[in-house]
Amino acid sequence: MDNQQSEPLTIAGNWNFDYRYFAGDTATRFFKELKDNRRIMGTKNPTSGTIMVPARSFSDADYVPTTEWVEVGPGGKLEVFSIIGAKFPGLPDPPFAIGYVTLDGADTAVLNYVSGIDLSDLDAAAEVLLKQPRVKAIFKDMREGRITDFHFEVVDDAE
Amino acid sequence: MKNPVAIVGVGQTKYRRKHSDKNTEELVRDAAMAALMDADIGLDQIGLIIGGVAPDSLAGISNIDMSSIARPGIPYFRVNTGGATGSSALLAGLSWIAAGRAKAVLIVAVERMGHATSAPIVFNSIFDPIYEKDISMSTISMVALRATMLMQNYGFSQEHWAQLAARNSATSMKNETLENPRFFTADQVKDSGVLAWPIHRLEACPTSEGACAVVLAHESIVGDRNAAWIHAARGLSDTYAIGDRFHRPEGSLVNLLTLDLSAKAAYKDAGITDPLGQLDLVEMQAPFASSEVMAYMALGLCKPEDSIAFTERAIENRASIAVQPSGGPQAANPVSATALIRITEAALQIRGKAGERQLDGIRRTISTGQGGATQFSTAVILGADKP
Amino acid sequence: MGKDNQNNADATNSAYIYGAAVSASWADASLSLTDLIFEGVTAALKDAGMSISAADSIVLSAHDLIDGRSLSSMVTAPAAGAYLRDEIRLSEDGLAAMSLAAARVEAGESEVSVVAAWGRASEGDFLATSRVAMDPFTQQPLGMSEMDISAFRLSRWMTKHGVATPARAAALQAQKKRAKTNPNALSAQSVAHPVSFPVHADEGPKWADVVVAVIIGKKPSGVRVTGVGHSTDMTQVGDRDLLAMPALRDAAKSALSDADLDLKDISIFEVDGMTLSDEAIAIEALGLCSAGEGFKSVSQDSRINLSGGSQAGWCYPAMGLVRLSEAYLRMRDKSKEPTGERKFALVTGQGAGGGQTSTAIILEAK
Repeated sequence: MDNQQSEPLTIAGNWNFDYRYFAGDTATRFFKELKDNRRIMGTKNPTSGTIMVPARSFSDADYVPTTEWVEVGPGGKLEVFSIIGAKFPGLPDPPFAIGYVTLDGADTAVLNYVSGIDLSDLDAAAEVLLKQPRVKAIFKDMREGRITDFHFEVVDDAE
Repeated sequence: MKNPVAIVGVGQTKYRRKHSDKNTEELVRDAAMAALMDADIGLDQIGLIIGGVAPDSLAGISNIDMSSIARPGIPYFRVNTGGATGSSALLAGLSWIAAGRAKAVLIVAVERMGHATSAPIVFNSIFDPIYEKDISMSTISMVALRATMLMQNYGFSQEHWAQLAARNSATSMKNETLENPRFFTADQVKDSGVLAWPIHRLEACPTSEGACAVVLAHESIVGDRNAAWIHAARGLSDTYAIGDRFHRPEGSLVNLLTLDLSAKAAYKDAGITDPLGQLDLVEMQAPFASSEVMAYMALGLCKPEDSIAFTERAIENRASIAVQPSGGPQAANPVSATALIRITEAALQIRGKAGERQLDGIRRTISTGQGGATQFSTAVILGADKP
Repeated sequence: MGKDNQNNADATNSAYIYGAAVSASWADASLSLTDLIFEGVTAALKDAGMSISAADSIVLSAHDLIDGRSLSSMVTAPAAGAYLRDEIRLSEDGLAAMSLAAARVEAGESEVSVVAAWGRASEGDFLATSRVAMDPFTQQPLGMSEMDISAFRLSRWMTKHGVATPARAAALQAQKKRAKTNPNALSAQSVAHPVSFPVHADEGPKWADVVVAVIIGKKPSGVRVTGVGHSTDMTQVGDRDLLAMPALRDAAKSALSDADLDLKDISIFEVDGMTLSDEAIAIEALGLCSAGEGFKSVSQDSRINLSGGSQAGWCYPAMGLVRLSEAYLRMRDKSKEPTGERKFALVTGQGAGGGQTSTAIILEAK
């Protein structure tokens, strides 16, 4: 199928667009609460009463603004996880674990890094995490107002 | 059904890592002309062309459809619903015909991800830049999260994922549209290294590009053409946040809510009360084994408590419905086209044109489309008989 | 399209408009893109006196590169009311979304549809992203952008008709004045992206964060979609008649034929164009005036672009739907009617690549 007389022409290209995403007041406050007050906040859906985390300015399910703020956590339950075992361009070196956690008081789960388990044997680590252990949100000392200001640490129930 | 519409022609290029010998116009032309010839309908009879192109960043050319699919003098627009693009485009074509605006519509989906040298970075840019980009989500880890949930809730194991992947690879060997189908065993899957637990490297579909085209025709012009009739076509969209799908009463993360609801609506339209008994074939847009298992349940092919048993039957080709006879998107998943390919493969089976992968007695089929993290779902039922 | 194509025994439904809302802002940091969309659709629903629960279908126009997210509809569709609804997103001018939504209603597939389109110019650089839509072998090396296609068009016009400085200045002033009185127009300062000569700096669009939503459905209301037309131009810019704009001309012709009307029956025109010259030349291509009189029409023809056109705020791919909303709101608001009848409006929307595709819709006010 390729032309055997000459290599088909290719031209290198690079997309490098800059964007500035306006986080909006709600996300701005959510991140400020992480940074300044070490707390994770959700907002309450007035129609269903559910607490959405991270804080949202509206519920798309009930299509209403959500303006009441509620603190949640720092403890929670790990719902699902994944352990990244390969190096993907632009992502941290493996292995590392991420998961969705329903913080105490929340009705939705939030994504973050999960640590506190030995990742040298992925199957063994998975066995622990499959049990949906309790976790705790641990805050960094130096926080920037980003979702990475905290991560989840597996709480050792065996104690 | 009011205003029945049929698929009267399809065309596909081969799907391969890179079509380095063709520009996009040429790829599109191959598929589109093949579909028109198959349909015995000329471009001059086409009242609308709909282009299906998903993330522009995979091709690295914005609006690549404008230079490759759009034709002077013919109404045109492009649909982009991510992985569901190909089927969403078909649904839009059906609306156009049902509204009386055209009698024949050409749908063309083209994927040019062979241009991309860093497709994973592109895929990661689909996530919310405000709350999620910092957590290194990838499409693979997104799938992995659900696979772990299936293992927790239903007792699936890594063995199941490996066996299902191996089964699809074996089936794909008969699909002549795949340039380099891969054959591997379950053991090879398990030994291939963990991408994101429990997903192994061999489970991930290879980069594929190519074009797929379908000609839709209103019943008044079908004549005695070899037709696959649309019995139902439904779509629905979900919330974005995966975290919102754990505790809601409507359905959890593994319940594939919008596929479930789309299928239920499609079954109602088509008069299907017993999917397993009344459908002969299912082509799912399930790029991973765990996605396929969730789809079985969402389509009502098995109850959740029987999902392992049904999966094991599917692995052994003993299910009472043909499952992924093309090998499915685990063999080739050209993003823009994949949902249209699932419909095309079903149409080929109904029309008896599926070549080496042809099965006997295929009279009614269901094809699914998924966009985003199973956020956008479509379900299309085809039949050999006019509805 | 057109009545000849109606091929079912039952009359097809018509699509009626119940409400619309347009917003044009700039870099409002208090609102994320999804906030803007949520507010926009909510405003349109309010205008229509309806709740989202009445809607069964959502048809959107948006573009990943403008939204700065691949598969941007993942986050934006829910903001537009897509939760558990039949939603589809076009990457095409917003008027095409309106057309498809109307088709859904006409086909009996939808009772009430939300149509929405947006482009938030302040989050990215539209012209920069437009460059990567150009051919990588023959156009990108020259840095060609959407603005250059507008410049080509104007240079062609000037070759034929002269520099026309006074006519252009007068047209610009007229549009600016109209934009000032348009409550939907962008009042804030926005960015000044470079233009390409011969387009003058102030003849470029007023870049804006635009969100527009329209609510339509099957039940009759005061304003009906009575004609729809689409067409497509030659793929290569170099092959096109940049002044005749055949895609636009043919789309309008189709819509008029669909509505069984002539151009003279139309009393309100909302014509999309990125630059002042694009609007003026489009007006000529539509046959609303003689060749060379487009800028004069902008100034003096009181049927056309009373919204202020691209001077009121512009960002692809929202604009055809904005033009439709402006026409709709005008038809509904008797205080704004121009002298004479206000029964029919013709609206046009231009696709990317200098309007390679064009959509035209005719509205009828009963």
